[in-house]
Amino acid sequence: MSKLSLLRASPNLIDGSKAASDLELSADVCVVGSGAGGAVTAAVLAQAGLSVIVVEEGGYHDASEFTMRELEVMPKLYQEAGQRTTADLGMSILQGRAVGGTTVVNWTTSFRTPEDVVDRWAKKHHVGGFKYADLVPHYEAMEARLGIHQVSVESMNANNRKLFEGCKAMGWHAEPLRRNVVACAQTGQCGLGCPVNAKRSMLVTMIPDAMDAGARVLHRARVDKLEVQAGQVKAAYATLLDAEARGATGRRAKISARRFVLSGGAINTPAVLLRSAINENKRVGVRTFLHPVIASVAEYDEPIDPYAGAPQSAASHHFANRGDQVGVFFEAAPSYPALTAAVLPGFGEAHRKLFESVGRMALHVALTVDGFHDSSPGGVVKLRPSGAPLLDYPIPPAHWEAFRFAQKRLAELQLASGAKAVLTIHEPPCKMTRAKDVELIDTLRWETGAVAVFTAHQMGGAAMGDDAETSVVRSEDLRHHSIHNLYVIDGSVFPTSLGVNPQESIYGLAHLMANRLATVAKG
Amino acid sequence: MNRRTFLRRGLLGGAVLLLGGGGLALYPTRDTVVATRALQVLTPRSFQVLAAIARRVVAVPDVDPAAVAHAADDSLTRLPPEAQADVNALIGLFETALGGLVLDGRLRPFTRLGPDEQDHVLARWRDSGLALRRTGYQVLRKLCLVAHYAQPASWASAHYPAPTPISGPYDDSKMGTPEWNLAQGLEGPP
Repeated sequence: MSKLSLLRASPNLIDGSKAASDLELSADVCVVGSGAGGAVTAAVLAQAGLSVIVVEEGGYHDASEFTMRELEVMPKLYQEAGQRTTADLGMSILQGRAVGGTTVVNWTTSFRTPEDVVDRWAKKHHVGGFKYADLVPHYEAMEARLGIHQVSVESMNANNRKLFEGCKAMGWHAEPLRRNVVACAQTGQCGLGCPVNAKRSMLVTMIPDAMDAGARVLHRARVDKLEVQAGQVKAAYATLLDAEARGATGRRAKISARRFVLSGGAINTPAVLLRSAINENKRVGVRTFLHPVIASVAEYDEPIDPYAGAPQSAASHHFANRGDQVGVFFEAAPSYPALTAAVLPGFGEAHRKLFESVGRMALHVALTVDGFHDSSPGGVVKLRPSGAPLLDYPIPPAHWEAFRFAQKRLAELQLASGAKAVLTIHEPPCKMTRAKDVELIDTLRWETGAVAVFTAHQMGGAAMGDDAETSVVRSEDLRHHSIHNLYVIDGSVFPTSLGVNPQESIYGLAHLMANRLATVAKG
Repeated sequence: MNRRTFLRRGLLGGAVLLLGGGGLALYPTRDTVVATRALQVLTPRSFQVLAAIARRVVAVPDVDPAAVAHAADDSLTRLPPEAQADVNALIGLFETALGGLVLDGRLRPFTRLGPDEQDHVLARWRDSGLALRRTGYQVLRKLCLVAHYAQPASWASAHYPAPTPISGPYDDSKMGTPEWNLAQGLEGPP
């Protein structure tokens, strides 16, 4: 039996759905959430000798359940089974929900936070608690643990190669990506849980590390609120969920601890704070960023098979900095059947024909960089009457401009890489076959619902900073400004978006801050 | 503003939605399919309307609109209760003859229109000047398409290749090794 096979049977893995009565647990530290922030934090603290309880809303699912079928996997691994949207329905939100969080379903792209972004936080957002150089050893530690390395051009699937070659043909900078995989079998299934444990997600790395060091993981348990008494969090209260991590079982868990770390990610961490009425300065939930995404579909004469091979292995940040205008960067997207059906525009016969030609399609996306300009303030997390989070993120004009710009550049690079036709995913789509057709993009409707917009990156909503008026946690240790045993360690502390895929930024910052917390908590 | 209040404020105010949700008694929703199991989120009326939408949206031979609507109903159980209520309200609005009369000049509910007329209604929502109708069209379209194409049985006729199955053992000491990958018929690491 291997280490991972034993995890499922470990007494440290507590399935909330199976609790026969209410649970009362206590530890030195309670970590809410088990994704990129929570798993790293739990492992570092447990290895430092602290007792740790991780509380996770989703279920524990391992490779034996990663059947490569959206029908079976999406309800287990995604928030709202992949149907989460922004309040005006204008953006689809892909966000994980399971032990391991979004790292179980992300597409493995790994970037350190760009140094200029960290510098920007210091200059404009009062982040004085660390410098880029402080993060470097923590990136290195996580890169080693997760096998993060740059892939070869030769390993790119055709979908990524078209993006890479198209950018080169246009004279734009593009690069092979770094991925957190070891012995990748190129199944292409990253987004549905790696079926061969090649992806070094939190599920197969830091969660087992934490449990080996004695941490307990309570899953299928949704933290409703924190109880605050005399300026300290005393306990976290959770609703225990059924075997599908959907409905309440009627039982609850109370977790008492000396310290609490919120690691539910952007959207969910602010929701816990709001439900707990911890929002004195009204900064909780604001400035939530998404890297809003549009797609471009290219049709080729030869097979592309966008469902085969690593989903992401090339990117271009050539237009990431556009001065006063919102920046964009380009990546590829894999084709899972239901996801593809949702992305491809239209209905009826037109949609069916498009779907049937997916084998000769490349799917490329442009991610817009939010939060760097006054014209790009991000969204606001609110609570629905049921207590569930709702993200209000009306797409501002500056992003519609960036979408239009990016749609043209994507069409240009796709045509330059040999596409016989390029389609936007407008309703109805705009078809381009020659470079001069790209001007048609200016004639399209650029407004909510006229073109599908997505997000797979959630950041912000509980910003770090040393000005207690404009942030939620301080930057030296991510401790809450007024509640001194409460920390936020996840992507929600970023004061802006990142301009790169977020997972490694969260790993590095969490590793730094968990080490700082361990020093304090042991003292 | 949550999604429900958005729906109410977004169009012509609460009155239309109220009537739309109830429908015009003169022209009740036409039932064309039979639910084969208990509904979880969709109302019986929403189920019928969504099946009718699925018949137009999923243009695949032998599509079973009831199966699509049931699969959509399953997936909707994952939404927060407010969003579930919104979907039923949206479907009611789509079906209603009153909304259709005001905005499209049609007298009959969606389920009582012919196929071409139904496609026209979908196109009217798609091309609408109202954001609510455009996003509503997207929600209904995606509900049906995702419900259909998530079914592995749909892939063969769409020329979508099923992924190579993995057959265990799920043992991390063996998974990912060249021998294991070879036994699974997978490509090894490059």
